[in-house]
Amino acid sequence: MSTEPIAEELRDATVTRGAGGVIIELAQVDKFFGDFQALKDVNMKVGKQEVVVVIGPSGSGKSTLIRCINRLEEHDAGRIVVDGVELSNDIKAIREVRRETGMVFQQFNLFPHLTVLDNVTLAPRQVRKTPRAEAERLGRQMLEQVKIPEQADKYPAQLSGGQQQRVAIARALAMQPKVMLFDEPTSALDPEMINEVLESMKELARTGMTMIVVTHEMGFAREVADRVVFMEEGQIVEVGTAEHFFTNPSEERTKLFLSQIL
Amino acid sequence: MTAGGVTTHAGAWIRQNLFRNARDSILTVVFGALLAFLTYRALSFVLGEDWEIQRQNMRNSLVGPEISGTDLWAPVIGIWLIAAAVGVMIGALDRSQHADQPGAILDPLRPAHWRQIAYRTVARLWPVFALVVFILLLTGSTTGLLVTLAAMALAFLGRAAGVRLPLGSVRWAALATALAPIVAVLIIRFGFGIDWNDWGGFLLVAFAGAAGIALSFPLGIFLALGRRSKLPVMKGLSVAYIEFFRGVPLVVLLLIGSLVIGLFLPRSLIPSEPIRAVIIFTLFTAAYFAEVVRGGLQSLPEGQEEAAKALGLPAWRITSFIVLPQALRNVIPAIVGQSISLWKDTSLMFIIGLAEPLRLASAFTRQPEFRGQGLITLTLFFAGLIYWIVSFTMSRESQRLERKLGVGQR
Amino acid sequence: MTAAQAPARARPPLWRDVRVLRVVGQAAALVVVGMLLAWLWSNLQNNVDSLGIPAPTDFSYLNQPVGQSIAGSDLRPTQSRLDALQVGLVRTIQIAIVGIILTTILGVLLGIARLSQNWLVATFARIYVELFRNTPPLVVIIFIYLGMFINGGFLPRVGDAVEIPNLLAADIRGISVLWVSFTDSPWPYLLVLVGAIAVGWGVVRWRNHVQDAQGKPTYPMLSGLVVFLAMAIVGWLALGGPTELSAPSVAENGRVTGGNKLTPEYAALLIGLVLYTASHVAEITRASIQAVARGQDEAAKALGLSAGQRLRKVILPQALRVAIPPLSNQYLNLTKNSSLAVAIAYVEMTRVTSDLVANGAPAFQAFLLLAFLYLLISLATALITNFINGRLAIPGR
Repeated sequence: MSTEPIAEELRDATVTRGAGGVIIELAQVDKFFGDFQALKDVNMKVGKQEVVVVIGPSGSGKSTLIRCINRLEEHDAGRIVVDGVELSNDIKAIREVRRETGMVFQQFNLFPHLTVLDNVTLAPRQVRKTPRAEAERLGRQMLEQVKIPEQADKYPAQLSGGQQQRVAIARALAMQPKVMLFDEPTSALDPEMINEVLESMKELARTGMTMIVVTHEMGFAREVADRVVFMEEGQIVEVGTAEHFFTNPSEERTKLFLSQIL
Repeated sequence: MTAGGVTTHAGAWIRQNLFRNARDSILTVVFGALLAFLTYRALSFVLGEDWEIQRQNMRNSLVGPEISGTDLWAPVIGIWLIAAAVGVMIGALDRSQHADQPGAILDPLRPAHWRQIAYRTVARLWPVFALVVFILLLTGSTTGLLVTLAAMALAFLGRAAGVRLPLGSVRWAALATALAPIVAVLIIRFGFGIDWNDWGGFLLVAFAGAAGIALSFPLGIFLALGRRSKLPVMKGLSVAYIEFFRGVPLVVLLLIGSLVIGLFLPRSLIPSEPIRAVIIFTLFTAAYFAEVVRGGLQSLPEGQEEAAKALGLPAWRITSFIVLPQALRNVIPAIVGQSISLWKDTSLMFIIGLAEPLRLASAFTRQPEFRGQGLITLTLFFAGLIYWIVSFTMSRESQRLERKLGVGQR
Repeated sequence: MTAAQAPARARPPLWRDVRVLRVVGQAAALVVVGMLLAWLWSNLQNNVDSLGIPAPTDFSYLNQPVGQSIAGSDLRPTQSRLDALQVGLVRTIQIAIVGIILTTILGVLLGIARLSQNWLVATFARIYVELFRNTPPLVVIIFIYLGMFINGGFLPRVGDAVEIPNLLAADIRGISVLWVSFTDSPWPYLLVLVGAIAVGWGVVRWRNHVQDAQGKPTYPMLSGLVVFLAMAIVGWLALGGPTELSAPSVAENGRVTGGNKLTPEYAALLIGLVLYTASHVAEITRASIQAVARGQDEAAKALGLSAGQRLRKVILPQALRVAIPPLSNQYLNLTKNSSLAVAIAYVEMTRVTSDLVANGAPAFQAFLLLAFLYLLISLATALITNFINGRLAIPGR
């Protein structure tokens, strides 16, 4: 968005560029899978209305990072605070955080036995106790937003991959979350379908949604990301604007990685 | 790792798996008590009872009351033959699987490999070994011990020969393993001249099960191909056959075999009772095999057949060289599962009055010295134990195979 | 050359024409099978003639009297063999239904236990499954019948019965269980119950509707259950208590009185079938739950659904669809395995038939009829399964 030279302080992942205060805070977070350390002392803050893109080679811990934010993975050390709620073993805190964060998966994970509309309205009705009529009105509105209102009564398996992923976005949005997490949302898609999903995501970014996006789509990053975070081996290696990564990344590892994906 | 580390590991494990929360702790206590009680009951049954009745009738249980004297060598030779053939096949398999890393091949003639071989064999076959040890301890038979040791030696030497066979002889070794039981049966029946009606105990059910599987297999493949055929007559006949045999209980079919088949044949052609049972097992299992093979055929991508057609292969070659080998490989675990099923079903020969293990088990309790002492639980337990061990071992092997072939998980 | 003058298609010689070959091949197969059947049939006719038994198409034996009674039924020896077969058929269906219900309860519980995070619970379920799945059901049935009842290795002799007070009492002559029976005609109260179910179901529908409209939880199942129970109790009182409980108890002399007595034959068959089939149902339950992709549970978690909601709305509906075909297969197996009753003389369809044959009924017709009845049961099961599968099929898959 901005083409100004990167401010030095941006190199620190805990300096946000959002419009308001901090909404997500990770402090000294460690995560182990058995003996393998997936996250090493990760410190990061995300501001309200900020869009952060996370890049890095596979196995670098970027998926684990966002999966810790809604506690699909339990972190082993450090603090994770989402919208003022600290994640712990407290089931109430977990439920609260999950209610306020939406997530979109690489493999869509739509519920195959429910119609598109039921997929979208399930959580509002079950979790938010929204009356059906209102949930459906809201659901159709969300489908409108991702430009597939006409598919409401079909089943997921009857849609194309791109359409399925847009339903998944609508499903997450229907909970009216404060934060959206995207875990490689376009990696499982055929090339011609990637754009329609990215368009929906860009539109969402323009509405001021706070987003953390794990992706390799640098074009997307350049267009909407406030900051780009590069991770490797469970650590945050470099932080900056998309422009910074295009023009003069400072770390050798970053350069090597970018040369492989660009 | 220090002792302290081990303790904390164990402590963490116990907390994680047994006492996560209050409900979990209650469950642990309840099921712990239940398991302890059942283990206690089982142990006091096996160790506390007087197994004299089974000790005296061991031979009857294994081969039936009609085989005695020198005829006993017939099943022994059969076992030796099979042990040797299985040894050869395991050796050949080991060789072909590690073709690119000869160092990993376990060679029985190298003492350095003995520990590995013993460890793996026991890990896979411990229930069988436990049974053999139980039988040997109970009977205290020196001959039995020598026969067992000879069988193990033969398997050992067979394996040594197997790893020395040229690469690519796995299929011949497999064929030999498949033929060994057939040769064994021929030796017992014709070499020693033991009439079908004199076979009994586990020899009888093992024979019936093995023969049923071997014979039903080709019929099953034929029926599966028939069911997939585009020709309505072939398809109709196959479907009628399969659905009939799958819809009627095996008990009823065996009764039909025992009481009705005779009416359909000229008197001179009526086979003996055990053979009629084998025929029924074959016809019955073929219908189930047909469905298993059909599953395998359906799992093949259409491209395989089309590619073969495009190469100009004639139809029968497409089926036998392209389609069937792949389809059968995909359903090996299901075939083993069906074999386990048939093994358990051989117990149904009880119903048509053959001298199979369950009937013998109740006959032992009517012998003068054991009559009226309620010993049926002992003899039935022993018969059930052998049934269980064989089928448990086969099902473990089939799960291993499933993991190895990576089928069953997409 | 013009379009109208298409060249005549070359005709291959007959023995190379694919279409001719197909017809000839099929005709040949028909002829071979037909000849085989004809040969068998003529043998049958010859044998029947020489033995002097009824012709293979003569079913009049069914009208002759049975000449014996069936334990536990009020069939008189003067009634026809057809009536006896009918008693057998009803018993086969009855044991299948009771067996299926008990098997499902036990099997599903064990299947869930297999997945428990508690190691002891999971191990217990695994031992159960491995133990019963690999033992022939006939062994289990005979073990229970001879080992527990007739010879009493585990159960006490007559005059020394054991009991769980008011619930169950057992000795080697059978098991008696707590039972509800009607003092008078059962119909009035059964009608009340049917009405209560209907009204209860209506309440569930209505509360569901309210929950949909308002979003607030209205506890539909609970309200329905309460209404049903209330109606059942009020109806029971209004009819002046039309039922009586019969609890088994052990009298002074150690004999069992009261309760519904299950004969050793019935109890052994039922328990054996249930124990065996439950091990298979447990495996199906476990596999079906595991078959639901892990991402499904994650997606539901990410949406903030609670554990119960995830299970009810996402996991179970999908697992059920996976489970239905193998489950119906197991139910059919249980039904067919009820024929194992012949081994312990519980008189159901197969045993009736073999008894009839032992008493002079023609074997061919009797077993043909028996096979036909089992085929009907199988066919009915297949139709029901297909219907349910069709109803539950997920579009696009």
